[in-house]
Amino acid sequence: MSGPYLRYAAKRLVQALAVILLAYVFTFVVVSILPGDPITNVLRDPQNGFTEDEIRQIIAAQGLDQPILVQLWTSLSHFLTGDLGLSVRSSRPVTTLIAEVLPSTLVLASSAFAVALLLAATIAYGTQFLPKRFGQGLLRGFPSLFLSVPNFVIGLVLIHVFGFQLGLFRVIAPNSFWATFFAAIALGIPISAQIAEVLIANLDHESGQDYAAVARGRGLGQFRLFAMHLLKPSSLPVVTIVALTIGELLGGSLITETVFGRTGIGSLVQRSVSTQDLPVLQAVVSLAAVVFVLVNLIADLVYPLLDPRVKLVGGPKHRPTTADDSSAGTPQAVTS
Amino acid sequence: MAPQDGLTSTLIRPEFAAPRPLRSIPLLKVDDLSVAYGAHQVVTDVGFELGRGESLALIGESGSGKSTIARAVLRLLPSGSRASGRVSFDGQEILRMPERGFRPLRGRAIGFVPQDPGNSLNPVRTIGAQAHEAAALLDEPDRAMRKQLILDILAQVGLDNPQRVYDSYPHQLSGGMLQRVLIGLAILPRPSLLVADEPTSALDVTIQKRILDLLSRLQDELSISLLLITHDLAIAAERADTLVVLKDGIVQETGRTTAVFASPASTYARKLHADVPALNPDRYAGLRDPGFRRAKAEPPKIEVSAVTKTFTLDGQTLTAVDSVSFGVPAGTTHALVGESGSGKTTTIRLLLGLEQPDAGTITVAGEQLNGRSPTELRAAWRHLQLIYQNPFTSLDPTWKVEQLIREPLDRFRIGTGQERDERVHKALADVGLGQHLLARKPGALSGGQRQRVAIARALVLKPDVIVLDEPTSALDVSVQADIVEVLLSLQAELGLTYVFVSHDLALVRQLAHTVSVMHRGRIVEHGTVTDIFDNPRQPYTCSLLASIPSGVTDVADAPQPQLIVAAE
Amino acid sequence: MSLIADVHLTASRRLTSLRVPPTVAVSFVIIALVIAWSLAPGLFTSLSPVNGIPADKLLAPGTAHWFGTDHLGRDLYTRVVYGTASSVTSALIAVVIAAVTGGLIGLLSGFFGGWVDIVFARLVDVLLAIPHFLLAVIVVTAIGFDTTNAAIATGVSAVAVFARVMRSEVIKIRQATFVESSFLLGGSRWHILLRHVLPNASRSLLPLAVLQFGLSILVIASLAFLGYGDPPPASDWGLLISIGKDYLKWPWLVYAPAFLTIATVLSVNRISRWLRKTD
Repeated sequence: MSGPYLRYAAKRLVQALAVILLAYVFTFVVVSILPGDPITNVLRDPQNGFTEDEIRQIIAAQGLDQPILVQLWTSLSHFLTGDLGLSVRSSRPVTTLIAEVLPSTLVLASSAFAVALLLAATIAYGTQFLPKRFGQGLLRGFPSLFLSVPNFVIGLVLIHVFGFQLGLFRVIAPNSFWATFFAAIALGIPISAQIAEVLIANLDHESGQDYAAVARGRGLGQFRLFAMHLLKPSSLPVVTIVALTIGELLGGSLITETVFGRTGIGSLVQRSVSTQDLPVLQAVVSLAAVVFVLVNLIADLVYPLLDPRVKLVGGPKHRPTTADDSSAGTPQAVTS
Repeated sequence: MAPQDGLTSTLIRPEFAAPRPLRSIPLLKVDDLSVAYGAHQVVTDVGFELGRGESLALIGESGSGKSTIARAVLRLLPSGSRASGRVSFDGQEILRMPERGFRPLRGRAIGFVPQDPGNSLNPVRTIGAQAHEAAALLDEPDRAMRKQLILDILAQVGLDNPQRVYDSYPHQLSGGMLQRVLIGLAILPRPSLLVADEPTSALDVTIQKRILDLLSRLQDELSISLLLITHDLAIAAERADTLVVLKDGIVQETGRTTAVFASPASTYARKLHADVPALNPDRYAGLRDPGFRRAKAEPPKIEVSAVTKTFTLDGQTLTAVDSVSFGVPAGTTHALVGESGSGKTTTIRLLLGLEQPDAGTITVAGEQLNGRSPTELRAAWRHLQLIYQNPFTSLDPTWKVEQLIREPLDRFRIGTGQERDERVHKALADVGLGQHLLARKPGALSGGQRQRVAIARALVLKPDVIVLDEPTSALDVSVQADIVEVLLSLQAELGLTYVFVSHDLALVRQLAHTVSVMHRGRIVEHGTVTDIFDNPRQPYTCSLLASIPSGVTDVADAPQPQLIVAAE
Repeated sequence: MSLIADVHLTASRRLTSLRVPPTVAVSFVIIALVIAWSLAPGLFTSLSPVNGIPADKLLAPGTAHWFGTDHLGRDLYTRVVYGTASSVTSALIAVVIAAVTGGLIGLLSGFFGGWVDIVFARLVDVLLAIPHFLLAVIVVTAIGFDTTNAAIATGVSAVAVFARVMRSEVIKIRQATFVESSFLLGGSRWHILLRHVLPNASRSLLPLAVLQFGLSILVIASLAFLGYGDPPPASDWGLLISIGKDYLKWPWLVYAPAFLTIATVLSVNRISRWLRKTD
């Protein structure tokens, strides 16, 4: 851990915190510009049966009678202490609501993540070992196909084929092993496509580099060239891409949970959208941003330690200053 | 351990020291080799022979197919290419051999030294890890022994701290050091043929010479055959026994170096010989010499005095330009010569006002330029223009030639629309380009055409001073000769003053009147071109001059300077 | 790499780029058909997308009804054709919003740097930090459920991508030699920004915009699927699939609109890839 790295880490940490706070403010602004006053609309909905007194109490408890900036400040300071407020709909703490559904989403998201990684690696590394003419072209087509299919369609096809036709699982038992398995596939496939695309592009780039030709000139076969030279430089940058897909995982689970009838963060969001339960929406979006920022922070902090090519700004200079230390910077178009 | 010990202990083993029995078959024999990429024929019916312990150079410019031939011999052609003909190595036909059969030869019997050392080692693995791949080709079961062999070879190629190099990542070493590593890895498995593809074109001139000396020495000591690919006739003549001159994939001339070099038979070889600056110091004497009188008579057009510029990088202060002074009389060419990092580019950026000096003054045509704001400089730029090194990046790819040349006129609002059109046409004609190019975009032009457009763009403003930043270093020699001719004719005709930045002393000798030699931010020597080239006083100038390839084959003298290299 | 093939390959690529690969040609045909459907659906079907014949409900695909009929006896092919307009135009709205806003943010923050860059960079970081589908959901919740709003929400959620790509392109081009060259030849800041930086940076935005068009179709379909678009009897593709999911015994109700969505997005992606390669 050198000085420049610690400086870099500190800077990234501060940036991450700033982004989290700004994301909270941004979400607050977006949900506050809702036309009309949906909160009081919901509360005054005769179906809910609140009395005027109760409504006043709720409004006071939520601080809705305060000016908007004061509301923002109160809400933000509560958020920083881990208090996400009360659901307008059920008057229960939002943290409790989220805690109830979180495990189910975590199971789904982490299995989908595993599916995505496995599938991406199979496709990308597979291209290295298949003959150019057929197999490889087919394999290379998969990512763009996967990216073109809405994930609810993948889910419905899986339900139709494996649930209805083959009877492998029942839709009314959405938490069973097979239901979770297929939900994870539906969620993981589009994400695998993004990772596979980057991996394939990196592999193509690296195998086109001079060093790959030179290593081949040193007598290396395709497998050893891949394993010893191409695997590491093409896979390392994927760390940061993988971190970026966390957002897709969270957004995609919204749909996948609906399709498979699972309870989770996604169904919580759905319910809150239809009831305009803003504190819950605000909390879920902010937490998603927190997760995304933290995962990416970790990726950014780990990556320089893995990849020796990364030179941190203000990093140490290793280059010796010998007489031999000057490869001319003049690009010469002298090759034939 | 001194590198010299390593040499005797590891490489001059009895079986190598003993002279090889002369066999009748050549080590490498290429017959009727043709290579095509898709529908594009790159190499046509090429044939040559390379004997054991001998050296052969393939010479040609861009598009001559020389590297393709090297790759065909190594069987490293990119997918989508088709090769026909015969390539036999040690009596074995290798072009159609199955990959399984050829792989044992690659590396073990045929070594490869690539063009660009900076990109030729895997950036995420240490030198040691990659060296072990080469060492795996040796019949040495013990890993510790293999490591020792690697360290020995690194010492032998002139790297003074083998263990440190072994532990380094490629980005931690300089280009020259990396090329030494690559040569070391190539000779480690003791191949009988070494293919070197432009092994020095990415390196500074003084380093170039050391690397070539190293190759010659190793070839000599280990009796390896060398297939050298180069664009530089002078280098080829110095280093090879046989020359093969290529153009557009077709052999123009083949023969012993002495014969081809002394009396080239083909038109192309003669032209190539005439275009190499190192071999023709007085080629442009007629165009240049009137300038010498002006150099004595005219007052200085440009005066740079005691200019200093420092940059702060990572908390370290770097003096890029250190109290540099020079003057340029009107109508003459002043050359700034130096290797990369010598401060020559920073000097001209200061001269143009693109950077501000920390100290010193810069005067062009009587006007002081330093300390001016960009708006104030704008007026000066009408008379002071810059030609960039790389015409592939200095023209906006989305613009047409006509727009490009017209841009400065529009910006400075010179003349009426019709006058502007006329000036554009004249400038284009002045640089020797046809009007039919006006509607093209840079992507549809060759490198030489692009550089002419760049010159026309500067000329259209009718400047008095043109700063030329290595204007030909990205171009082939024959194109370079054309561009230099254009520049010198324009100077003779319009009395332009040039500041010419270059790393190529031979080129400078052809066209400059006065020279400043820069080294590490300082001018170490300056004078007229005759002074500098005939009576150099500084050791650095001498080493630069010594690195100009003379075209004279004299490998026997080479080993001497190695003692210096070993102490780097 | 500066090896052999470069010169020749670029030369031959220039030749082949004039010819359109067959898969790209097919993609263009599909896109042309989709555009035709959205401009003049009446030319392609004589049936009504809203009123069905109850007796003909849930018929399997056949010669009379290419894609079969739904639970109200409406011809599914007709519904798909009439749903094209809003599915495709809304994606276009989304791309225009994202490309213009994002492009402008990226252009200004990349060109001017300094505090402009700092402010915009944080805004972009925030937009990127919120999962884009979730962002689209809360924006559409905020402005109301209909297809146009879903398109706006989708556009907003993609602003960050364009801003980021544009910014890095602008920074790269700002440092290009030809920009300094234009400056030396008397070009002002605005001249350089508008005539050199913008045209060069926009070139890489085109394939991204095409790609984003495909993605927007998917996002808008997802929003429609969740019920955040126009309500029935509208027939956006996402909505058709959503209705079909309750009738999985008659799978064509899902498969037909799904197939069209996939074919359209796949074609768009193929064209984008081709544009990137020929550039």
